[in-house]
Amino acid sequence: MGAFRLAIVVAAALAGVPAAGNAQSIEEKAQICAACHGDSGIPPEQSFPVPVIWGQKLGYLFFQLRDFKSGARKNDVMSPIAEGLDQKDLMPLATYFSKKAWPDLQQKQASADAVTQAQRVNTSVVCTSCHQEGFQGDGTQPRLAGQSAPYLQKTMLDFRTGDRANNPGMSGFMRGLTEQDIAALATWLGGM
Amino acid sequence: MKRIGTRMLLAGAMALPLAGVAFAQETGGGGGAGNVKMPPIPNVSQAMLSGAGKDSKNFLHTNGNYDQTRFHPADQINAKNVKNLHVSWIFQTDVRESMETSPIVVNGVMYVTTSFDHVYALNAQTGEQIWHYKHEMGPITVYCCGPNNRGAAVYDDKVYIGTLDAKLVALDAKTGKPVWTTDIADPSLGYSETMAPTVVDGKVLIGTNGGEYGIRGFVKAYDAKDGKLLWTFSTIPDNTVGTWATKDATGRDMHRDIEAEKAALAKNGDPAKTLGGGVWQNPSVDLATKRIYFVVGNPSPDLDGSLRPGDNLYTDSLVSIDLDTGKLACYFQYIAHDVWDLDATSPTVLVDVKGKDGKAIPGVLHAGKTGYIYVHDRKDCSLIRYSEPMVSQKDRWTLPTATKPLDPNAARMFPGANGGVEWSPIATYPGEGMAYAINLEQEMTYTVDSAPYPNGKLWLGGAFTNVPGGVQAGNVTAVDYNSGKIKWQVKTPQPMIGGILATGGGVVFTGEANGWFKAYDAKSGKTLWSFQAGAGVNAPPSSYMVGGKQFIAVAAGGNVQIDSKRGNSIIAFTLD
Repeated sequence: MGAFRLAIVVAAALAGVPAAGNAQSIEEKAQICAACHGDSGIPPEQSFPVPVIWGQKLGYLFFQLRDFKSGARKNDVMSPIAEGLDQKDLMPLATYFSKKAWPDLQQKQASADAVTQAQRVNTSVVCTSCHQEGFQGDGTQPRLAGQSAPYLQKTMLDFRTGDRANNPGMSGFMRGLTEQDIAALATWLGGM
Repeated sequence: MKRIGTRMLLAGAMALPLAGVAFAQETGGGGGAGNVKMPPIPNVSQAMLSGAGKDSKNFLHTNGNYDQTRFHPADQINAKNVKNLHVSWIFQTDVRESMETSPIVVNGVMYVTTSFDHVYALNAQTGEQIWHYKHEMGPITVYCCGPNNRGAAVYDDKVYIGTLDAKLVALDAKTGKPVWTTDIADPSLGYSETMAPTVVDGKVLIGTNGGEYGIRGFVKAYDAKDGKLLWTFSTIPDNTVGTWATKDATGRDMHRDIEAEKAALAKNGDPAKTLGGGVWQNPSVDLATKRIYFVVGNPSPDLDGSLRPGDNLYTDSLVSIDLDTGKLACYFQYIAHDVWDLDATSPTVLVDVKGKDGKAIPGVLHAGKTGYIYVHDRKDCSLIRYSEPMVSQKDRWTLPTATKPLDPNAARMFPGANGGVEWSPIATYPGEGMAYAINLEQEMTYTVDSAPYPNGKLWLGGAFTNVPGGVQAGNVTAVDYNSGKIKWQVKTPQPMIGGILATGGGVVFTGEANGWFKAYDAKSGKTLWSFQAGAGVNAPPSSYMVGGKQFIAVAAGGNVQIDSKRGNSIIAFTLD
């Protein structure tokens, strides 16, 4: 399913969701997310990369929902969904997913060469300064270890081009990396 | 958050009294304490805090005393016998992550903090745990350089800490239970706390992090009893333009494009609202004049000056304000319109210095990220002299380039953005006119990449990046602050972050990223003793006496900024 078509489906589904302020629980509201992010936390195979949100850091999830809603971060699928969310539901939704167990995507580990290349990047940029030792994240800094490698690769490239514009600090760092650096980082982090 | 659930056992000769328990809020001790009784939890009077400089028994302030000399008068451990120093006890915290805490010691009770804002009260003689407080962190934390905490402050019956979610917490010193909590600022806008507070005259003083996120910095004073806000000094005034200074404090041209800045000012107005200006470290306190002295950090965004025309007052400055009112007394700016993040972070020190006419006057010292020790007149903040450079000054002030960070044509410069002296406090030997600093030697590229204010997100305006394969080293440097001359310098194999301590026995203590904790002869710089701690020793040491013995205590937990090996130990050393 293409992103645009999925967006229509999700928007249609949201249209059927009763307005905020009713008795619908956060668990029920979160059901809409499973279409892309998976009903067990593992995103199903799709034509576009989707991140793991189960077990992701609470502050990070809240900031992303906030930014999708405000337009600071744009995505064909997420933007209309976030736009339809009530502001007061953002933190409960983020909390709901942050409390789920991080799933194992069973991605293959990076090759020795890719590990060397990725570690060299970390020595230079010190990614762990924000993402923490072991890339486990904290607060508003996302966990990267075990994240979907295709998603990591795309989002790092999007930071570099400015297509993802909600963290200029990340864009600055990514612009110093080659596509090979980014590919190595994505497989290294995904395989953790 | 990384934790260890149970204490690791120490082997062989290091089978020491182990600190107690693994879970928050439990109290009690582990085995090996023998018949040593837990000390009573003391109250701390203002007289004790004011007299800390001559108190060889205690270590009552982050930097030893209100003057922040980090000179501890105890002299049982001296240059002759320090070779016999050995571990007395090791306490392992529940948090294996970057440690920057200065152990505070009051009548045999030690207070230490960890990353993610845990606080422990320990028996300073045995290392046994008395209580453990774990801050309940809010969901929003925004910080740039690790989840650090640099320590607690003590006053009366309370222990005070700042937290990553920008709160000030007062704990009951006897139980470790919170008495009151105050919101300092909105963490979603980039405000966070890693510094230790300072308490004086019933006021709790604290600054803020956030110069990498477009905050508007401050120092605030709270009532120590109930957390009520007493005053706020904004480190960024409403008019930040200044005098269009083109040279830094050492007279070097900074290559500013003043005409372009004036055009930007006319077009966009004063950038005050998002100009940064964090305060990373404790103020020194002049008890006689009731003035405090602190340094203000970098402007936001760090590397992109096009969005913030003018001198960007009071960023990169020494500032003095009135303790009772929070009103400005004087300031001195080291770098106007900084685009290198070579700001001012290491805490100020109050000592008598030789003025320009050679007569002794009350002075202020600051070790800059530029790698110089600056000497000021305490009365008006004016600069008397600056030292010889402690680190390389290659290619200063090369402007950041609009290239990719690792591009061969990207601007390269020493010092790198961690500076020649980071937040690490210096130590002094006031009677000898000596200051001791630890340095970083890192070559970095500086690139600019303009982006509008991102609403509390990381806002560097470009990137500073370690040069792969480039120099990564450090120094321990002794400077005569009355002449500015370097008296001795010891090279270290890795960049130095943490802090340093001088003692009445003529010994200087400091640690390294590779786990070595060393004692140097204060006069000659000769290495007198060393101990391998197994993790980066990147925290300031403390000294105290209990049971008739002098102890040296330091945290070995590694450091995020230079990515040294993490650990979770507080280690205390004695002679026998």
